[in-house]
Amino acid sequence: MAQDEHSHFREQLSAYALGALDAEDVRALEEHLQTCDSCRAELSEYRAISDGLLTALPPRLPSAALRKRLQSQLPSAQKKTQPRFNWSFGKLVLGGALALLLLMNLFSFLQMRQIQNQQADLVQQIKTNQFALSMLAYPGTQAIPIAANNLSGSVLLDRERNTAALVMWHLPQLNQDQTYQAWLIEPDGHRVSAGTFRSQEDTSYTTQPVYPKQDLANFVGIGVTVEPAGGSDQPTGQRVFKVDF
Amino acid sequence: MTDLNDSELMTRVARGDEHAFLMLYDRHAARVHALTLRILSDPMLAEEATQDAFLKLWSRARLFMNERGSLLLWLLTIARRTALDRLRLEGRRPVLSDSNDPDDMWQTIPDLDSMPEEARWRSLHFAVQSLQPDHRQVIELAYYQGLSQSEIAEVLGWPLGTVKTRLRAAMEQLRQKWNEE
Repeated sequence: MAQDEHSHFREQLSAYALGALDAEDVRALEEHLQTCDSCRAELSEYRAISDGLLTALPPRLPSAALRKRLQSQLPSAQKKTQPRFNWSFGKLVLGGALALLLLMNLFSFLQMRQIQNQQADLVQQIKTNQFALSMLAYPGTQAIPIAANNLSGSVLLDRERNTAALVMWHLPQLNQDQTYQAWLIEPDGHRVSAGTFRSQEDTSYTTQPVYPKQDLANFVGIGVTVEPAGGSDQPTGQRVFKVDF
Repeated sequence: MTDLNDSELMTRVARGDEHAFLMLYDRHAARVHALTLRILSDPMLAEEATQDAFLKLWSRARLFMNERGSLLLWLLTIARRTALDRLRLEGRRPVLSDSNDPDDMWQTIPDLDSMPEEARWRSLHFAVQSLQPDHRQVIELAYYQGLSQSEIAEVLGWPLGTVKTRLRAAMEQLRQKWNEE
């Protein structure tokens, strides 16, 4: 290594120790320091001075407020400023009792809703049956027998009042994802939906009223198929029966 | 807890012991504040820098390694960088400290046997005070204002070579005087 080069770097050591060496000179000096023991030794003496300059000042006390400000920024002080719930045993018991009461109210409400729904279903069933009875008693009603495997009953047609009713005995129960759907049949074979229904669970027969949107005279028959829950636009499932008017 | 040394207190601070943290503050706040005040020359800014330095001590306590130097040196290094960053942020012109301010002067050197560390610090203080003014000026601008040699040349209107020569001469004098102690 050239002596001139070494001297050049050595002259930079004091400025480097103070952090005053210009940025463009720092990298070259640091590379030199990696291979020069004497420069490293001299640098450590200058560094002792720069470290000493940190402490070579008479102490100056900051204001007392600074200590309080610092304290207020520590985690415990921040916790104190946050609102906290103090759960005593009494409050826990009270909270538990309130939660239980709420739960019981919710249970009662659900039970009441279930009873109301059952009651509404029953009323509807009675009305439907009364409707079928009144049709049977009406002189102009035409009763067309249903002939299908394991199923019997009648299609009641009241052309004057443009209403109909299906009375079906031993209609099988369907799965939850299925429904019965009635179809009025036009002369060209096109089917028009006449409503969906399920078989009545507590009686051997099922009554389903039909209120056509068009004149019954426009139709030549009526049928029932099994469809996915919610019904279909056109018959897609198994036929239950078909009756020609 | 008062008999615990800095290193032992730092171990507790690293575990979140606020009482240990406040003990360290009581021990070293005056030295940290003296440094930030020298750099910033503004009591309010200096207090903010002192506060930031101690909050960094709290949050970085796990990083402190006793074998690499004393806690005070570590803390003062953090405080110097914090204050210099603030100085740059404020964009203020470099200010030379008033060497006639009695608050910035120690009057005596304590007994070397009873307080060896304190005596070393004060002897360096007196060594700096004994430098000729233009030499002391470059040391203070470099170390307490964070200026490079080129920036010092610009601030003082001196040729860069003059700054380098005076800074080198000043550091050499300090080295010799301090090693004589």
